[in-house]
Amino acid sequence: MIQGVGGKVIWVDLTKGKIEKRPIEKKLVEKYLLGAGYLSKVLFDSIPTGIDPLSPENVIGFATGLLTASMFPQSSRHVVAALSPLTDVWGESHAAGFWGPELKLAGYDAIFFTGASLDPVYLNINDSTVELLSADDVWGRDVFETDDILRERHGKRARLIYIGQAGENLVRFAAVMNDRDRASARSGLGAVMGSKKLKAICVRGTGRIEVADPKKYMDTMDEFYRRMLANPFTPGRAKYGTTNLVEMMQHIGRLPSYNMRQGVFDGYEKISGETITEKYLVKPRSDWCCLQRCARYTSVKEGPYKYEGGSPEYETQSALGSRCGNDNLESVLFGHHLANQYGMDTISLGGTISWAMEAWDEGLLTAEDTDGIDLSWGNHASIVKLIKMIAFREGFGDVLAEGSARAAGKIGRGTEKFVMTVKKQEIAGQEPRAQKSMGLAAVTAARGADHLYAFPVLDEAGFDDEIKERFGEEYLPEMAERLNPKYKGIMVKECEDFMVVVESLGLCKYGTQIPPEFYYEDVALAMKVHNGLEFTRGDLQIIGERIVNLNRLFNVKRGVTRADDNLPDRLTKEGAPLGPSKGEVVELDQMLDEYYLKRGWDNETGIPYASTLKRLGLVEEASGMEIPD
Amino acid sequence: MADLKFVIGDPRVCTGCMICVNVCSMRYFKVISPERSRVRAVRIEPGLDFTLFCRNCEDAPCIDACPEEALSRTSKGVVIVNNKKCTGCGSCVEACPYDAIRINPDTEKAIKCIQCNECIKRCPVDAIWMTTKKELEERDPDGKIMALHEEHSEELYSKEDSQ
Repeated sequence: MIQGVGGKVIWVDLTKGKIEKRPIEKKLVEKYLLGAGYLSKVLFDSIPTGIDPLSPENVIGFATGLLTASMFPQSSRHVVAALSPLTDVWGESHAAGFWGPELKLAGYDAIFFTGASLDPVYLNINDSTVELLSADDVWGRDVFETDDILRERHGKRARLIYIGQAGENLVRFAAVMNDRDRASARSGLGAVMGSKKLKAICVRGTGRIEVADPKKYMDTMDEFYRRMLANPFTPGRAKYGTTNLVEMMQHIGRLPSYNMRQGVFDGYEKISGETITEKYLVKPRSDWCCLQRCARYTSVKEGPYKYEGGSPEYETQSALGSRCGNDNLESVLFGHHLANQYGMDTISLGGTISWAMEAWDEGLLTAEDTDGIDLSWGNHASIVKLIKMIAFREGFGDVLAEGSARAAGKIGRGTEKFVMTVKKQEIAGQEPRAQKSMGLAAVTAARGADHLYAFPVLDEAGFDDEIKERFGEEYLPEMAERLNPKYKGIMVKECEDFMVVVESLGLCKYGTQIPPEFYYEDVALAMKVHNGLEFTRGDLQIIGERIVNLNRLFNVKRGVTRADDNLPDRLTKEGAPLGPSKGEVVELDQMLDEYYLKRGWDNETGIPYASTLKRLGLVEEASGMEIPD
Repeated sequence: MADLKFVIGDPRVCTGCMICVNVCSMRYFKVISPERSRVRAVRIEPGLDFTLFCRNCEDAPCIDACPEEALSRTSKGVVIVNNKKCTGCGSCVEACPYDAIRINPDTEKAIKCIQCNECIKRCPVDAIWMTTKKELEERDPDGKIMALHEEHSEELYSKEDSQ
């Protein structure tokens, strides 16, 4: 028996309104863990190929990790996954909060939804009671209103996951929100919920989580707490969250500005973490057992951008700030608040608006296209106006709600070359010409452009000791050099394998990757005292590799090859125009060659070799596919 | 009796991580379960995180309410529950004005904070501490902490957590 978990999985057929509870399959857990790995396998098996992601045939899964609701530092997380309506390939997104732990306390590890409801519904879970209820009175409501109404009805201690109007209106980068201001933002999974007329999952769990080794439990966790709090990164994280990354990224030229024309922004100080902390921070916030407290609670007290709520983090400062040439911080904060309220991914939101702004700047978009809205760089009133128009698909907002790749496809006129996406998902706030590993990570990530699938930050700020520990001395100094493409294929591969394990455990990348305090041996120890599962570093590395390869097979089945693992020409062919990385391009081919070699994937097609799949126990999954020998 | 001790949290400082809640259920019942913890964590927007413990009232209505005389005050002034006498009838839960006593659904006995200090020493932001009325007045001369508790008393002490 696996301990420290809920033990059951819920399957909901929304077409028939049928609910079924099944026990968690131990064999699957041993092969894929829970969380991201578990969803990868179950959805690989249950989502057909050749379907529209917004059709009832898509299946959406929600899962907690093996250590979600444990007492490990930062163990609050859950995963959402489905076929993505933004990328048409593997869609996966994660968030912290309290919803995941609550689900575990109610006795469940995962929920899957098949089919689609005719009328809006939400799933209500109260320990053993699981029921579909009408969402008529919350459909059309924003995230905060929905939270208020459903907690009034089901108790203030209920925890919720939901969509806002953006998800209902099938915005292709709609987020799945939880606990008011937490977002499983990427991949447009909010639109999948919307297409199924699934508004929310309300959970109240009053159960108990029994751990495998209660005698050693607290001592083990105390040691993890001591290490986390003693880590030199923790005080800065607590003080600024991720907001001061603006200053750090500016310093190394990795702050995307003017739709990724460049990696430095003159107005960076105005949107900096220092300014937010000084003028707008109410307090730092934590999720379940989080010692780093990077979440912020902020407010703008007066003026057109007045609000109070949870926000922001670095990605939004970059997406709605520098990327749009916008140094009006209050509009960035308010824009973030609106994105939470309507439920949208701020990265794709800012990436799409900044695409339109560059097209406008180049004279390729005019007021005729934009309902008269001026899209000059930094026009913050226009940015804020567009956010609402996108969520409600009004006018030009309807075009932008498709994401920048589809919008450019519709507009044409050469605007395509300003689309900064991989597999149609907007590249995050990590200018890859200033950190080559980020360029590689963006193309290899299963869910399309993404910095978190690998989260290769070991070459960011002097983690030479950790590189030595994790990879050995032979790769230094090159692996630690941001602008050097050498060994980045090896680094990104290893980082991906570890990060998918972390997402399968329900842990945070803060603490495991930056700072790199906890590694395989530490999470294995936590799994031993919490779950009673014994895994070695080698076992977990294989599981990580298996998950990454299965995600790849999911995409290969849908036509993805090496040609899709590509960056916009701007980043591979045009040198960075100014700043610390001036003249740099991303040497993508060189890094990809190394990556495929290390992965055991065919260099020409990017498809895993049969021998790789055999080693990882994925032969059956690949049956019927063309696999290179 | 002005020096009766109790644990208090500053809702402006607490980040809401619930480590205190989980340490408590782990220490006393070897499980992770906010329902089985002697401290409650309640988040109320805008930006407040309350941690709620037994206030150790001078008049201790819980002691008077118990038909089995299972609750008593130790020589150090802490109100404790005698598990041998407690029948889990819930009279103390009913009597507590701060919703600080609940019945553990597994043992069916009343549970409440007994000031063991285990949560305090693990709070990552020092948002909770052992206090007395006098100490609290000195530390928070404007009475802001208690005022915030009072302001949100309806939600904090609604008994939702002890039902």
